[in-house]
Amino acid sequence: MAWVAQFLGRPAARALLYPICVYYLLGSGSARRAIARFRERALGRPAGWGELFRHYHAFASTILDRVYFLRGQFDLFDIRFHGLDVLDRELAKGRGCVLLGAHLGSFEAVRAMGLLGRQLDIRILMDEQNAPLIRGLTQTLNPMMAGTVIQTGGIHALLQVKECLERGGIVGAMGDRVTPQDQAIACSFFGSEARFPTGPIRMAHVVQAPVVLFFGLYRGGNRYDVRLESFGGETCVPHDRRDIDLTQEVQRFAGRLEDVCRLAPDNWFNFYDVWDRSN
Amino acid sequence: MEQSGASLFERDLARLIVQTLKLKTDPAVIEPEAALFGEGLGLDSIDALELSLAISQTYGYQLKSSDPQIKTIFSSLRALAAAIEKNRTK
Repeated sequence: MAWVAQFLGRPAARALLYPICVYYLLGSGSARRAIARFRERALGRPAGWGELFRHYHAFASTILDRVYFLRGQFDLFDIRFHGLDVLDRELAKGRGCVLLGAHLGSFEAVRAMGLLGRQLDIRILMDEQNAPLIRGLTQTLNPMMAGTVIQTGGIHALLQVKECLERGGIVGAMGDRVTPQDQAIACSFFGSEARFPTGPIRMAHVVQAPVVLFFGLYRGGNRYDVRLESFGGETCVPHDRRDIDLTQEVQRFAGRLEDVCRLAPDNWFNFYDVWDRSN
Repeated sequence: MEQSGASLFERDLARLIVQTLKLKTDPAVIEPEAALFGEGLGLDSIDALELSLAISQTYGYQLKSSDPQIKTIFSSLRALAAAIEKNRTK
């Protein structure tokens, strides 16, 4: 796909997304049902095939655009930033910043912040072992950028996070996906309980770094809306109250995520049932 | 219950671990050779990060991601104690 994206250019590559989406839409039973269930909860009505296709198409578009983002071809896009002042304010504290995001839209749009003439040291904490395709793509398209990914798991990754934050850098982390080794809390999400990881917020507490929410929403065509939001509160929490505050904070994140999902339901890219406890 | 064969320093470190991470475990029962993370004490990597900050503060030994031995260092109380004793500045 990277080859197609590069040599055919974005318009032709986008034309190819149609048959690809139809193929996956018909072939991916459990993923399709998970998206249908999500849409029904988010929008309060059953999802038709047209909507599901649009959802798949939005996902495929962001995967394709990742190729261009990784190559720094931002001139192909209309990327609008909202809330940059929030990030500037937190970075001014000199303790770096944790960008807390989700599998909603394109986290990779974070790369576009380099566009703004800021010298930002951005690392993304990512489970690449479970995304070998993405890893390969990153390495092929932009080896330098591959170095900015911190593979999750283990003290080695977290020391890299700490060192980046100490340099005043930015660490991106996903706050919506729980792996078997993660600690998680059940939060209300669209009216039912879903499990959210405590890790990213706990990590920010431990290193006393401010947290800013990040959503790179795909708006169709070549348009992206990058939203940065204050997560509020002081991150320096007394130790004995740690668990209570985590529950509140993770729930606050789930609540914000729910709000932003309503603005852009097509951008929800968790292709499994987040409300199913067996996940 | 007193663990067998733990050095004085290992006991100090066990106390620091319990204190820092607010564990309900008695520091005296932490086996020097047992795994600290995962199976053993059930600690995770964020606990390890928190512990590394306490170690830096208490002993002046800054653990770095560039250290190729980093995983081994955190494997047990004994390994961690040995690394601290070798590198401590206070």
